[in-house]
Amino acid sequence: MSFRNLFIAALLVFQFLLVKTVKSQTENDPIVDQIIESLSENAKEDVDYSDLAERLSFYRKHSANINKITFQQLQELVFLSPIQINTFLSYRNENGPIINLLELQSIDNFDLETVRKLVNFVSLDAANPFADVSIKSLLKNGHNDLLMRYSQIVEPQHGYQIPDSVKKSKYLGSPQHYFARYRYNYGDNISASLNMEKDAGEQFFSGANPYGFDFYSGNIAVKNIGKISKLVIGDYSLQFGQALTLWSGLGFSGKGADITAIAKQDVGLKPYTSVNESSFFRGVAATIKLKTISITPFVSYINVDGGFAAIDTLSSSADISSLGISGLHRTQTEINQKGSIAQFIYGSNIQFHQKGLTLGATAYHTYFDHTFGAGKQLYNQFKFADNSLTNTGFNYGYAYRNTYFFGEVAHSLESGFAFVNGLISSITPQVSLALLYRNYQKDYISFYNIALSEASTAINEKGFYSGLDIKPSNKWELSAYTDIFRFPWLKFGVDAPSQGYEMFSQLTYTPNKKIRATLRYKFTNKEENDNITNAFNTLDPVKTQNYRLELGYKINQDFTVKNHAEIAQYQKNTNPSELGFLVYQDLVYNPIQSKFSGNVRFAIFDTQGFNSSIYSFEDDVLYGYAIQAFQARGSKVYVNGRYTLKRGLDLWFKYSLISYTNRDNIGSGLDQTLGNKRSDFKLQVRYQF
Amino acid sequence: MKYIFLFFFLLSFNLKAQVNSGSRFVAMGETGVSLQDIWSLQQNQAGLASLEKPVVAIGYEQRFADQDLSTQSALFAVPYKQNVFGLSFQRYGFSAYNEQQIGFALARRFGNTLHVALNFNYHQLKITNYGSAQTFSVEAGLQYRASDKLWLGAHVANPNRSEYGNGVNAAIPVVLQFGASYSFSDKVLIATALEKTLNLNTDFKMGMEYKLVGMLYLRGGVSANPFKQYAGFGLNYQHLRLDVATSSHPVLGYSPQIAMSYEF
Repeated sequence: MSFRNLFIAALLVFQFLLVKTVKSQTENDPIVDQIIESLSENAKEDVDYSDLAERLSFYRKHSANINKITFQQLQELVFLSPIQINTFLSYRNENGPIINLLELQSIDNFDLETVRKLVNFVSLDAANPFADVSIKSLLKNGHNDLLMRYSQIVEPQHGYQIPDSVKKSKYLGSPQHYFARYRYNYGDNISASLNMEKDAGEQFFSGANPYGFDFYSGNIAVKNIGKISKLVIGDYSLQFGQALTLWSGLGFSGKGADITAIAKQDVGLKPYTSVNESSFFRGVAATIKLKTISITPFVSYINVDGGFAAIDTLSSSADISSLGISGLHRTQTEINQKGSIAQFIYGSNIQFHQKGLTLGATAYHTYFDHTFGAGKQLYNQFKFADNSLTNTGFNYGYAYRNTYFFGEVAHSLESGFAFVNGLISSITPQVSLALLYRNYQKDYISFYNIALSEASTAINEKGFYSGLDIKPSNKWELSAYTDIFRFPWLKFGVDAPSQGYEMFSQLTYTPNKKIRATLRYKFTNKEENDNITNAFNTLDPVKTQNYRLELGYKINQDFTVKNHAEIAQYQKNTNPSELGFLVYQDLVYNPIQSKFSGNVRFAIFDTQGFNSSIYSFEDDVLYGYAIQAFQARGSKVYVNGRYTLKRGLDLWFKYSLISYTNRDNIGSGLDQTLGNKRSDFKLQVRYQF
Repeated sequence: MKYIFLFFFLLSFNLKAQVNSGSRFVAMGETGVSLQDIWSLQQNQAGLASLEKPVVAIGYEQRFADQDLSTQSALFAVPYKQNVFGLSFQRYGFSAYNEQQIGFALARRFGNTLHVALNFNYHQLKITNYGSAQTFSVEAGLQYRASDKLWLGAHVANPNRSEYGNGVNAAIPVVLQFGASYSFSDKVLIATALEKTLNLNTDFKMGMEYKLVGMLYLRGGVSANPFKQYAGFGLNYQHLRLDVATSSHPVLGYSPQIAMSYEF
């Protein structure tokens, strides 16, 4: 406990530190939030958006020079489609430097909405060239960013209350969650980062974690030294092609309101800065650029979490039964699984890029020091059951006039193939079209595959996606897509080959800069096992529908109001349908010149069961992205605020309280809290120097 | 065995789909209610009123890629002053079961903004070893040009609920549809339609036509209930037009078709 106090004391000490002036800040602003929300139509609880938020916030603060911005940098601004990037680059090539940002509006395929977003991340200023790099200037001109966060659930959870004398699974650590991160940036070219995290329930400077935190992640990265365009030592992520062969870290496999986002924009090698404790590499990687060709070799050695099947009496070693991705090490079982499997990966990507054409090839080998157990069920008999795997892939992208063609073919040696091919096209300035065909074989294996798919992983699926986006005027936008899919093999909970389809439409009305109204409808029809307990079930059609209405308006310079109503409906075969309902009200206070900003939400929800639960984004402290799954009946309120103590020293806090009217306790198992209320708070401080 | 299944299917699910509205409209998700074409004869006869020259068209569709089950159509339309007269023949079915429909349409335009039409059909149903039945039905439609680029359309088929008579378990569907089409440029046309069939489903449809280059058109569409996808292309060469389309049903599969027309 004393270490906790020490940590809190450290947080307080920063209040008294002298700080020097840094560039003014823009925080968790609606622009970044809106971009992130449009990318992932269906919020999932376990996705960490901080990586993307950080990337966008970086450009928000260090806006890129519009006349020097590169293809790669434009790709990092995820909201630009490949067609827009291509037309922008050829416009700049043909017409010379951009003199006024308003000029962007005259570029083909740049609508007002895109320009409005883009001007937040670019500027006309010449970027500060960091010509001479000496230790002295590294210290003097570098930019340091230290952030610490503390959060906790107020009500005691069952897992903390089991006495030591009772030999039962329990949380061995304290209920506090601590997170600290440090960033060092020297211009755009040199950076270092360190992340440290202790999840609630994990031990801190004790037991399994004598060195403090449960999770450490860090790296040092440099850019543009001669032919080496990127070099990362430490933790990194790799994103290539259409995410079929190799894509680690944040990605979206789902379908969103932004139809052009089906074409993934790979940023290649990136320093890993997220706190997700899985899906990253640890070692060395570099991108070497030779004119039109970039080569990215990489090597990684990391201990990952895994569970083992009971030891077979015939063979001496146990087989891996599952990989752990949660990063939680609270109970003895979880601690035992921590880093129990060594994973060694090496490989390379080679990419050719000239004008609108990109061609890439990737090959890498993954080796585990244990063997994966074979699938025991019919549905998982094609799962990985070996200790080494070689993946290869080829990807392309080609922009021709107003159309961008893209695709990837991937092969896991000795097992299956996977293909994806698509196009996005701005057929007129008002109308965009997106088409994608995919075919992922049931025995295709990749641990870093998050290609577009209906199922949670892009295997055992064939599908055709078609989307249309219509902007009849600056005020109206209709985006719609349909997707038809087939699963040729069984899946968990689906005891036969199955199929289904999905339809989505969203209408947005923006009469002026102050008002934005969105109406959304989504319909999915799939097949799942019927409700009868059987060794093998027959399939029932399952229909899910989701209706959403959102209205946001700016009352004055300081206040913005948002109303949100959502209905979810789930129906299996002809059983009675299950309904879910959510309504919330947001009030955002964000004045231009003030030390304080914040927002409040009050939500009422009423859902009839698990299948009709509604997921919703919440505002959070900077770089924190909270998603709430609403189930049962009750209300939720949260208050979220930021206070600038001094230039460079900011404080955030969040308090939330959820209370149920039809539940006596919340959660289950070790997570459970007694009573119908649960509250938590977060405190965060950031010091920039 | 196959016939028994198809027979069951025909009688229970898909009666309204017997009228084949031609490769262009089908490729656009059967959204022809607010569009103008010789094939308006098969979807909303009001669209015929924009014809300025006589046109003849033929079409052939293979249902669910089954060689035996097909639809054959032949159309002819001739304008006279503000009026256009149309004649349509269609045969649908396979050797042991077939339906024939002969239609006569009169479409008239009022200024540049309003088209109205009436259509009279003669239906004949033949089943080997069971005999045949006949009946008549009417259809009415209108189209209104709300702006340069926007057309609205409405159409009703068989409002008086005409039937084949006792003992024949095949109905003439009662259908109401309306829709809108909008030209975003001289290259892009988008159309939508809402269709309600009595005693059956309500369907929402959306389709698009894109002029890729010169004489080549690409088309696509979807319908919501039943969920179907459509695609096709068209070639317009001087007086001659060739359209190819296919619709895809998630369970029943593909139905390819081809149509040709000639404008005098």
